[in-house]
Amino acid sequence: MRQQYAIRSLVVMAGLMFVGVAIIVQILRIQNSEQAKIFLANGDIYAGEFRTFYPERGEIYDRNGHLLAGNRTVYEVGVSLTEMKDVDAMAYVLSVYLNMTQEEIKEKLLNAPETWTYIVVKDYVDAGAVSALQQVLKQLDEAGDNRLNGLGFKPHFTRSYPEKNLASNVLGFVTRDGRGYFGVEEKYNDLLAGNPVQMWVPRDPNKALDIPKVPNGTTLVLTLHRDLQAKVEGILDEALVEYGAKNGAIIVMDPKSGEILAMASTPRMDLNNYTDYFQIFDNGSAYNRSIGMAYEAGSVVKILTMAAALDAGVVTPETTYIDTGSITVGGITIQNWNRQPWGQRNMTECLQHSLNVCLAWVATQMGSPTFYSYMDRFGLGHRTGVDLADEAMGRLKVPGDSDWYPVDLGTNAFGQGVTVTPLQMMMAATAIANDGQMVTPHVLYAMIRDGHQYNVPSQYAGSPIKPETARTLNEMLAVSLQNESASALLPGYRVAGKTGTAQIPTPQGYDPNHTNVSFVGWGPVDDPQFMIYVWLQEPTTSIWSSETAAPVFSRVAEQTVIALNIPPDLVRLQYGSR
Amino acid sequence: MQATQIIHAYRQAPWRVQRQYVGAFLLTVVVLALVAALYLDVTSRTALAGREIQELRAEIAALQRSNADLETELANITSSAVMQRRALELGYRPVQPGELDYVFVPGYVAPEPPILLAAADSPLHQQTLPEEYSQSLLEWLDEWLHSGGGLP
Repeated sequence: MRQQYAIRSLVVMAGLMFVGVAIIVQILRIQNSEQAKIFLANGDIYAGEFRTFYPERGEIYDRNGHLLAGNRTVYEVGVSLTEMKDVDAMAYVLSVYLNMTQEEIKEKLLNAPETWTYIVVKDYVDAGAVSALQQVLKQLDEAGDNRLNGLGFKPHFTRSYPEKNLASNVLGFVTRDGRGYFGVEEKYNDLLAGNPVQMWVPRDPNKALDIPKVPNGTTLVLTLHRDLQAKVEGILDEALVEYGAKNGAIIVMDPKSGEILAMASTPRMDLNNYTDYFQIFDNGSAYNRSIGMAYEAGSVVKILTMAAALDAGVVTPETTYIDTGSITVGGITIQNWNRQPWGQRNMTECLQHSLNVCLAWVATQMGSPTFYSYMDRFGLGHRTGVDLADEAMGRLKVPGDSDWYPVDLGTNAFGQGVTVTPLQMMMAATAIANDGQMVTPHVLYAMIRDGHQYNVPSQYAGSPIKPETARTLNEMLAVSLQNESASALLPGYRVAGKTGTAQIPTPQGYDPNHTNVSFVGWGPVDDPQFMIYVWLQEPTTSIWSSETAAPVFSRVAEQTVIALNIPPDLVRLQYGSR
Repeated sequence: MQATQIIHAYRQAPWRVQRQYVGAFLLTVVVLALVAALYLDVTSRTALAGREIQELRAEIAALQRSNADLETELANITSSAVMQRRALELGYRPVQPGELDYVFVPGYVAPEPPILLAAADSPLHQQTLPEEYSQSLLEWLDEWLHSGGGLP
């Protein structure tokens, strides 16, 4: 009996084991079949997706923390074609909110390639329109209506410029492909944009940590002073109207550090509508005239000629020259601006009356090698290295160039035949205002990344002249300005500077009717804290700098001392002595 | 002597030996079930935590967008042109140089441009979650064995 029972048990056990083994064999067979491979491959498709993570573009602030360029959310509105129920309803609703016709939308939805499962109807849709669409979706959902099934919204950032056209020439803009053009946006595009990361994103929640944190682009703090920039742009716009000038540029800079506090140029554009660029600008160099457009600046270059001559020991402030009204250099006769002789004049008076003949004589006394060596050290013919895109280089012809003639030594001495950008001229002038030391102009004050602020130090750009030369010329220019151009003066503050009125070269020679007027000046003379450059193109009310650019300098200087809290000399020196 | 024999016979009774086998088998089954339940528990917790991480990431992204929108909106309503217009509407006018009084304050140092740390995005490190939330039981066991079997 017991034996029979044991046999039955064994039979049952064997049967069960057979079933178990059969199940395991079947599992293995299924798992390794051809169909299983197809299923696994299909499973992988749904296990995740390849996605590109774009970091948020870094913001741009002015030196006082005002946002100049930020980001705002816009949406990509799309439709999942597999989920779409009613094309007509979808086209009708979207046409109401997306500013598109129903036909346009239907065309997109019905003529999509067969393999596509999702189609973008419109991108860069404002949050307001999307919010209204979401409201419609919600109402339909509550009513159990599925006619808008498949409609989806994907948020992403786009560039926004809260100050619209303020400092537009400095900032540049970003197009929809995320690339910066002009100014800071182009120069620092790589820093601002950050590094997009493309990777496989698993849907498995157990692998959630595999999704990387994409660091945002670097935030930039500029040296610009927003309120001063607004004032300077206002003054420039008024000046163009008042003097009938075609265009212009004004720069305000700290001559000790090279920090650009304001940089205005015309025309400007609302950076939020960057597509207007092609209507506003003929060519890229006009986008920011301060750095992109080289021109013959005229008599402002005389300060560099005098600096070189003083530094080389060729002249002193007391050196006299008998001006007969003309001088011959290289076989060509050079005359004064009024074609009149000025008699015996010292060097300060030569600057004060802006005598071409005197300065041409000074250059001939130096000789070509010395003169051009100094001009090279002042940076003429070289880019300043300012951290803005599309800087022009200007042109300084030197002996040996095919188009250089001996007369150029005389004409270059008073700014004819040599082209500079306003910023180039300004950088050269920092050597005079800054005890002989030139600084590289820059607009980047600091970078912020991962919660740390990295300040950008000032960059020394050489010492073309000795400190004592700079101090001597500084004083000469202050004295000559007091006597030459009263309209440039600023009550309460002692300033130094020089006017420049330059004829405009054309293929037929110099235009006798139009001029470029410029002014470079700085103050207070004993401790320069600001330097201003003014350029007005072809003023019509007067062709002279002393009647156009000089008063503009004064107005800008007035706003600058207010914005920068620079007390009048009397107050400053009184407190400084305590 | 007889009592000893009875006890010996009782211990060696076939049904008792079978029961021992059955007991050992059941014990194994129970242990395996416990391990499976524990594994299931840990796995489900990990999945939940992972899902929560995914949701938090989406929330962070939404908050970052909202933050950027608000920052830009604030900049719009405090832009130079808007502030100037509002100031004029309130009866203010631009100051003239002669109207300014400068006061000497001993020891005062003009403020440098501020550090804009508020503008920076604080770094969010990936390794903020402990490994317990991402490790399977087998991975933990493997690590434990490799570490010499001490307390983790």
